Amino acid sequence: MNGRVRDVREVVREEMLMRDKILDVLKDGPKTVPEIAQAVGYPCHEVMFWVMGMRKYGHLCEDELTDEGYYRYRAVIKEDS
Amino acid sequence: MNYDVLVLGSGIGGMESALKLGDMGYKVLLVEKEASVGGKMILLSKVFPTLDCASCISTPKMAATVHHPNIEVMIYSEVEEIRKLPNGKFSVKVRQKPTFVKQTLCTGCRQCEMTCSVAVPDQFNFDMVARRAAYIPFPQAVPKKAVIEREGTSPCSFTCPAGIKAHGYIALVRSGKFREAFDLVLENTPLVGSLGRACYAPCEGECTRGSLEGPLPIRRIKRFIADRYYQEHTGPQYTPPEEVKDKKVAVVGAGPAGLTAAFFLAGKGYRVTIFEAGSQPGGMLRTAIPSFRLPKDVVDRDIKNVTALGVEIKTGVKVENLEELKKSGFDAIFVATGATRPKKMGIEGEELDGVVNSLDFLQQVNLGRKISFEDKTVVVVGGGNVAIDAARVAVRLGAKRVIVQYRRTRAEMPAHDREITAAEREGVEFQYLSVPQKFTGRDGKLIAVESIKMELGEPDAGGRRKPRPVEGSAYKVAADMVITAVGLEPETEAFQKLLPINDNHTISVDPETLQTTVPYVFAGGDVVTGPSMIVSAVAQGRRAAFFIDRYLKGEELKGADFDYRTPVVNKEKVLVRQQSYRTLPPVGSGEILHEKPRGFAEAELPLTEEEARYSAGRCLDCGICSECRQCVVTCPAGAVDLSMREEKKEFLVNAVIISTGFQLFPAQQKPQYGYGKFKNVITGMQMDRLLAPTRPYNGVLRPSDGKVPESIAFVLCTGSRDQSVNNPLCSRVCCMYSVKHSQLIMGALPLADVTVYYIDVRAFGKGYEEFYDQARAMGANFVKGRIARIEEKEDSNLILYYEDIDNGGKLARAEHDLVVLAVGLLPNPQVQNLFAAGELELDEYLFVKEVDEDLNPGKTSIEGVFVAGTASGARDIPDSILHAGAAAAQAAAYAERVRVRR
Repeated sequence: MNGRVRDVREVVREEMLMRDKILDVLKDGPKTVPEIAQAVGYPCHEVMFWVMGMRKYGHLCEDELTDEGYYRYRAVIKEDS
Repeated sequence: MNYDVLVLGSGIGGMESALKLGDMGYKVLLVEKEASVGGKMILLSKVFPTLDCASCISTPKMAATVHHPNIEVMIYSEVEEIRKLPNGKFSVKVRQKPTFVKQTLCTGCRQCEMTCSVAVPDQFNFDMVARRAAYIPFPQAVPKKAVIEREGTSPCSFTCPAGIKAHGYIALVRSGKFREAFDLVLENTPLVGSLGRACYAPCEGECTRGSLEGPLPIRRIKRFIADRYYQEHTGPQYTPPEEVKDKKVAVVGAGPAGLTAAFFLAGKGYRVTIFEAGSQPGGMLRTAIPSFRLPKDVVDRDIKNVTALGVEIKTGVKVENLEELKKSGFDAIFVATGATRPKKMGIEGEELDGVVNSLDFLQQVNLGRKISFEDKTVVVVGGGNVAIDAARVAVRLGAKRVIVQYRRTRAEMPAHDREITAAEREGVEFQYLSVPQKFTGRDGKLIAVESIKMELGEPDAGGRRKPRPVEGSAYKVAADMVITAVGLEPETEAFQKLLPINDNHTISVDPETLQTTVPYVFAGGDVVTGPSMIVSAVAQGRRAAFFIDRYLKGEELKGADFDYRTPVVNKEKVLVRQQSYRTLPPVGSGEILHEKPRGFAEAELPLTEEEARYSAGRCLDCGICSECRQCVVTCPAGAVDLSMREEKKEFLVNAVIISTGFQLFPAQQKPQYGYGKFKNVITGMQMDRLLAPTRPYNGVLRPSDGKVPESIAFVLCTGSRDQSVNNPLCSRVCCMYSVKHSQLIMGALPLADVTVYYIDVRAFGKGYEEFYDQARAMGANFVKGRIARIEEKEDSNLILYYEDIDNGGKLARAEHDLVVLAVGLLPNPQVQNLFAAGELELDEYLFVKEVDEDLNPGKTSIEGVFVAGTASGARDIPDSILHAGAAAAQAAAYAERVRVRR
C-alpha cells in the first residue's frame, strides 16, 4: 500500500475526512497502520499521518506491539459517544 | 512606551540575554514571532553531552522569562522596522498578530484544539503530524495559551453578501459534523434550505479550487446540510428567547429580507410581526421560483425557523400607511416589500389575451393553478433568471415549442449560466440578438410576435454593448403565448408621502444603516436595491436587524462595526502553499436534464453523504481557520474572539539584541538523499522530535508504515561542509546531536542497529569526546564515508551508496529501514531587512557579522545593536548561552552610555 509521496499539507488536511473511516475500521478491533491502510485503501504513509493525528487528539491510542514490529491502534471510547 | 533593551527572538540565546538584563534591572522588551517562547531548544529531546532533558532545563527559563517583572514579552509578534535615532536610541515598529484568543481568559485547556475542524502540518513537530488551526504550539508552551491561525477570510466566505461562513460549514461537513454545519449557517440566515437550492452561489465563483479541477459545490453542500437536518427535525429545536424586550418591530413583507430581519430581531427578544400582502409568506421564494428548483415545503420549513422564535406573520395584509402602523404600537418598522411590479415593454399588443408577465405567470403556477400549454408555442422575452424560469416552466406545462428572445448574446445574458444550460438541455430555443417590436393578434387574442434582429454597438454607460436594430431584419414568429420578463421594480407609491423614493421607485436609505429619513423606518432588500439575489436580500435583512436593534437601544448607528471580516486571503498565495495537487474531480452536477420534462419534481439530485464529504474534502482551507466557530462554542472560558485585529505598536529602546537563531538546512536541496520523496528519510530535528517525550508518534517509528525500525543510519554533514550547496561551514552540532540520537535510540530500541556515516567526528567540547566514545562502546557503528546517494526499495527500506574509506575507499552499499540526515545550521539573513539598507552587515556566510569578535563579542556594525547566539554563527547550547550573556553585558553598557548621554 505504498505509493508516491503527496504534499504533506494535502494529506494532513484529509485527516478530518478520513477520521470516521478509520474509526469505522477499528470497530472490528485494534489494527496496525498497514492493516488500516489495507482496509481504507490508502497508502500506509498517508494513513500514518491520519493515525498519528488522531492519536494526538485522543481519538485512538496504541495497543500491543506485534511480533512484526507494528503497534496496533484502537479507538478511544469517548464518554459522550 | 520605552524600554532599555529590545531582544529579538526568544530562543535560548534571547531568553538568556533578556533574563540577564532583567536581573540587572533593565526594562526589556522581548519580541517572539511564535506563540510561545523557547525557540528550538524546547523541541529537542535531550541535550548533549549530559543527556539532560531539554524540556526540563528549558521550561524554567521560559517561565522565568515570561514572568520576570522587568521583561515584557510580546509573543506572536514581529518586528517590522528598527530605526536608529540621532540620540543613539532606536525606534522600533512591532506588528502584533491577532491570536483570536483573549490571552487573559484562556486557560490552556485545549478544548478549542480538540474541536477545531482544520488540520495543518505541525511545524513544531517538523510536519510529521497534524496540528489544528486553533492550537497551543506544544505541551510545554509558555505562555500556554491557544492561538488561532487565520491567514485571512477564505474567498468563499468573504464574497457571501450575507456573511455565511461557507468555509466553516464545508469544514464541518468534511468532519461529519452535519448538525453543527446547519447551526453555523443558521447563524446568518434562517433560509438554509432555500439558499441551498436557489442561491446563485457567488461563493463558488470565488472558490480557489476553481482554478484546479473546478469549484466545490458549495451550494449543494448547504442543501445537503439542510436536507439532513430537516429530515431529522421537522421543526426547530429552539423556542423564543426567555428574555422578551418591551419593544415591538413591524416588518412589512415576508420575503427573504423581511424573514431574515424578523429572525434576528426576534432572536434578540423583540416582539416581531410580519405583515405580508400575499396569501402566504416567502415572497419570491414562494411565488417566483418554480418548485422544480425550490420545493415549497422547503420554504415552509425555513419559515418555521423564523416563527419558532415567536414571530407572528399576518398574511393578506397590505401595509400602505407606515405612520398608522407606528401608532398601532410598533417602535420600529422594516420595509422589505421587494420588487414586485413587472415592467412593461411599451410595445403594441401587450394587452392582448395571451400576453402575460412572468411574475404573474410563475405565481399562478406556484399557487397551484392548473395551466396547460399543450401544443402551444410560447415566446419568453428577456434574458434574466426569471425569463429562464418562465421558459422552463412553460416546457413543463407541455408547450410544443418554447422560444426565448433576448436582445443581446448569450455572453451578455444576466441569467446564471447553469440555468441557461439547463434550459437548453430541456429543449428551450434561444433567439439571441432578437427583440419583439409588436405582438399581433386576432379578435383580441395573440397570434404572433413580430421581432427584429439586433446587433451590438458601442458600449453604454454601464460598459455593456448596446444593441441596435438591424435594418430589414424583421421576422415573425407564430405564437400562442408570450411571457414578458423584462424586469421588475418596487411598488412604493404608498410610501411616497413619508419616505424619499428614488426615480427607479426604490426607497432611499442610508446604505450603511438602512435607516430612512424617518428614524423609526428602515428599509432593505429589493425595495432598496432593486431586483437582486436572494442572498443579497438576506444580507440586507441581517444588516437591518443589527441597526434596528441599535436604534431601539438608543445606540449610535453610524460607525457601528457590522459584519467585520478579516481581509480576503490571496488565492495565489493559497495555491503556492502546496508543491503538488492530487486531481480531485468535482462530483457531477446532479441535474436531471432531458428534453421536454413534465411535472415539477426537483431537477437537481441531492448529494449523498459520501459525495458531500468527498466534495468538502476538496476544500483547500484557504484562510486556514474555517470560521466554523466550534472553538467559540466550546471554549469554557469564552476566550475566543474572532473579531480580533492586528495591532501596530511603536517603541523607543536604548539598545537592541538580535537573537533570531538559525534555520535548518532544507534537506530537499540534496536530492540524491531523497528527503521529501522517500518516506523513511528524515532529518535530525525530526529524530529529536521522535525521541522527545512530547513526540508526534508513540515511539520511534518509521513514517512509511509505523514499524519500529531495526536498522537506522545517520548521514552526517548533510548541507554543511558542502560546497555543492554553497555552505562550506561546519555546523558544529550535527556530529554530537547524532551521537546523542545514537545513544538514545540504543536505549529506546535495544535491538536496533545504529550506523553513523561520517567524514570525521568533531567532538571538540568538554566531555564530547567521552560522549562519542560512549556511543561506540554502546554498539553504534561509525563508518567513515560520505553517502553518495540513497535509493528507496519497494518495501520503503533504503539503500545507501557510500565510499568506504576505512576499507580502501571502495564503493559500498548498505540497507537500512530509517535514515536520519544530520542537517546543518544556516543563517537567518532576513533580520537585515529590519534595518536601513546596508546598515546591519552580514559576514560572508550571511550570519550577522560581529565586527570585533575577539574583544567585543556580540558587537555588530550598528553601534547599540548586538547579536546573541546562533544568529552570528553555528553554536551549541552552552556556547549560545555564553554568547548571549556577553551580548547582554554589551547591551547594558550601551544602554548606560545612552542614558548618561541624556
